[in-house]
Amino acid sequence: MKPPKKTDFLLDIHTEPFPARFVPPALDQLKLNAQKWLEGKIEHGEIETSGTMRHLILTVKGIAAKGSDKSERFKGPKEGAPALAVEGFARKYGLSPADLVASEGILYAEVHSKGEPAAALFAAMIPELMKSLQFPKFMTWEETGFKFGRPLRAITAILGDKVVPVSLAGIKSGRSVYGHPVLAKAPSILKDISKHAAILRQGLVLSDPAQRRAYLLKALEQATKSTGGKTEADEALIDETVFMVEHPVPVLGKLRDSHMKLPAELLKLVMKKQLKFFPVVTKDGLLHPFFVGVRDGLSSGNELVREGYQRVLEARFNDAAFFVGRDSATTLESQLPKLERVTYQKALGSMSQKAARVEELAAWIGERLRQTAPVDEQAVRRASKLVYADLVTDVVKEFPELQGHMGGVYARKDGESEKVALAIEQFYYPVAAKSPAPATAEAAVVSLAGKLDSLAGCFAAGLIPTGSADPFALRRPALGLIRIVLEKQLPLDLDEAVARALSLQPVAVPEPAKLAATLSDFIWGRAQSLFEDMKYAVDEVRSVRAGALKNFPNAFLRLAALRAVRRDPSFEPLAAAFKRASNILKQAKSGDGVACDRALLRDQADYDLYDALVAAEGAANDRIVRGDFEGGLKSLVGVKPHLDTFFDKVMVMVEDESLKSQRIALLSKLVRAFRRVADLSEIQTAAS
Amino acid sequence: MTFQEIVLELQSFWSKQGCAVVHPYDLEKGAGTFNPATFFGALTAAPARFAYIEPCRRPTDGRYGENPNRLGKYYQFQVIMKPVPAGITDTYQKSLKAIGLDPKKHDLRWIEDDWESPTLGASGVGWEVWLDGMEITQFTYFQQMGSMPLSPISVELTYGLERIAMYLQKKDSVYDLDYGGGLTYGDIHKPQERELSRYSFETADVALLSRHFNEWETEGGRLAALGDPLPAYDCVVRTSHLFNTLDARGAISVTERAQYIGRIRGLARKVMELYIEKNTPK
Repeated sequence: MKPPKKTDFLLDIHTEPFPARFVPPALDQLKLNAQKWLEGKIEHGEIETSGTMRHLILTVKGIAAKGSDKSERFKGPKEGAPALAVEGFARKYGLSPADLVASEGILYAEVHSKGEPAAALFAAMIPELMKSLQFPKFMTWEETGFKFGRPLRAITAILGDKVVPVSLAGIKSGRSVYGHPVLAKAPSILKDISKHAAILRQGLVLSDPAQRRAYLLKALEQATKSTGGKTEADEALIDETVFMVEHPVPVLGKLRDSHMKLPAELLKLVMKKQLKFFPVVTKDGLLHPFFVGVRDGLSSGNELVREGYQRVLEARFNDAAFFVGRDSATTLESQLPKLERVTYQKALGSMSQKAARVEELAAWIGERLRQTAPVDEQAVRRASKLVYADLVTDVVKEFPELQGHMGGVYARKDGESEKVALAIEQFYYPVAAKSPAPATAEAAVVSLAGKLDSLAGCFAAGLIPTGSADPFALRRPALGLIRIVLEKQLPLDLDEAVARALSLQPVAVPEPAKLAATLSDFIWGRAQSLFEDMKYAVDEVRSVRAGALKNFPNAFLRLAALRAVRRDPSFEPLAAAFKRASNILKQAKSGDGVACDRALLRDQADYDLYDALVAAEGAANDRIVRGDFEGGLKSLVGVKPHLDTFFDKVMVMVEDESLKSQRIALLSKLVRAFRRVADLSEIQTAAS
Repeated sequence: MTFQEIVLELQSFWSKQGCAVVHPYDLEKGAGTFNPATFFGALTAAPARFAYIEPCRRPTDGRYGENPNRLGKYYQFQVIMKPVPAGITDTYQKSLKAIGLDPKKHDLRWIEDDWESPTLGASGVGWEVWLDGMEITQFTYFQQMGSMPLSPISVELTYGLERIAMYLQKKDSVYDLDYGGGLTYGDIHKPQERELSRYSFETADVALLSRHFNEWETEGGRLAALGDPLPAYDCVVRTSHLFNTLDARGAISVTERAQYIGRIRGLARKVMELYIEKNTPK
């Protein structure tokens, strides 16, 4: 007997150039959706995809000649059911009543279907697969109105050695394979699908993304060898380039000395963002006067391309130099009046008004920190005054990404102190979740003021994020805020700062305390996710919520202490006992009004708990004031046996009102003592 | 190749592709798309094939003739084709060869750049075409006009003539371009750049421009109500340019901006609906 014949399938969807960002997700979907579609329909081997901005390629190996035969069983009426019902049921499946099979008193229809030939299955699959691809944006271009990411140019679809005939958006499938649109000659005819990648390579298309990437990286390295530097590592630009060219050919160009005087960040941004060129840097990461542009095509005749690249780059740099020159003709301070004409937000006034609020808030923060973490308040005042001035400079209007950075550059030129310049430069730090916070305390204070004002402004104006929606991107400043106080160890009372920032907004707020609480909760939400990223448990984070924003660096220490102490086996039962104590307090609805007086207590268990607690409080306090929250918590945990005895031996809710209130006061004292570190009633214990 | 030879070559090339070579529309406008050949050409089901040069005014881009790359008034060469001919990207590449830019000798790249005109409620999907890093053409498949999906789809090609000429002539300043007829581009345009920049940024009469904006808007609405979309459309073009000048003059705040754009779009939409109604076979 002959072994069953297996064949391979190839689909090459050839289009006009996709945006680079469209391709990787489209290839992922192509593979996944093909897998799903074929599952159970036909036996097959490996499914793979590859591609470029003009080719989405799918291959399926080891395909059976026919689809899988299927047997299905459908449940019908009971045996002895009315003849009409039985007949109807059988007819539904193309059977006669005699064909039905009885099992345990129930009739079943058994349907056997023969697998379709592979060619028919794949012809059905191709259009469905192509329609299943989701692009960030769809378009139409021809009369059938077919929607796709970019116009289709050809469909190469072959199973074994035969074309799979399909027709879509006016395109009929065939064997033609299209190489590079300019450099390849007429399309090649594909006879053997295992040669597909080789044919494309001949047509100057490297179809495999991994191979193309490796080729690019090697070529970049070779291109820069003569300069003694290397291209700046920029994964995003590399990823983009891999799907922006089909045959990467680096072309090295040189920057003019006169342009090297421009700020390096500005030069890099122009190269990367405007032209997709790779800046070349020295081993120390300093900008080298070279760049690499990646050409799509041949490595011969690059002189003309290099000349073109340099000409374009120079024009862009000249443009940038023109702006820098215009900006430099004046000072940041003299730019300030222009902020009056820039609207920040309709309800919140101009940028000039925002600047004044930030200046006031920054001064206030400096004052609040005077005792605990003093900063150069004069530098804070000066920096906060100038911090938005670069927004009206020509460079920042042209390159908004350079806000802050250019302010720093111009401040140094104006002769501002380095402290001031740095605070302006790093005003928007941290710019991303993992990027650095401002480096100095002064920069941190000014940056905090800016973020607090942005948050308070939006909240006051009613632009409050709900659920997952964050249309004004307020999560970022909130996260920045807590990262700064944490990383710079600033014991700033954020609840107070929030109230202060709200009070400065030019909007009437009907319930300021309520709004302040809402904003504090929003900020806490970011703290929560920051801690959860650090692998703290949700209940641990919740238990340090109270007072957390009053001193955020301490909140973090409390959290760390809690996690450390939680490892102790006696901790869980303590948390359970603590929860009982808080529940009693909640039931009693007593405030913290009554101070506990030892003399008014009655039983030994009362006295023991009281004495243990007073001792533990003292010991804990000594440690907590030194910042040793773990030691403090451990001291408090020592009251556990006395608390257990207390619950065993005495009733809290006794008839004697005086005794009852004393015992409540005792428990309340206990709960308060723990809450300096953590509210243990939030801890999820195994028992609870 | 002189500036005017580039224009003549493109006209001849697209004429051979079956385009009617029409002429600039006699109103100030910010882009070649505003020429009725394109604006109305894209709207209905009737085939449209046009090519033309169009002077465009972008008051905010004026640089007093001091910047070698930026102009407050420049030229576009525009092609519109509906339905989209097969292999249009290949045909476009051939047109580059016709003006002396052999794509084989250069790096030709297609960079995602979707086009949008908020005032016309129009949008399209397409690319900027880069030649050795320089943007030389905007290539767009129109998808919507007046916020309505279009069918059939038109393709619009917009060549940046000055940039192409600078590349071909290896000039670093637009003003040094050989225009033809023994003149440079600067001979013809520099005085205008200087004075128009002064007008746009300093001397334009804001009160008069605002008044004219209101008046042309009203007039456009009145004409549309009378059932004549073509003169009403002229009012759209006028309001759009008045808005651009007011904007350059710094007379429009952020909030007003959106209102102005909304008013122009509202009028444009009325005109479009009227035009479609009038020109759709019953």
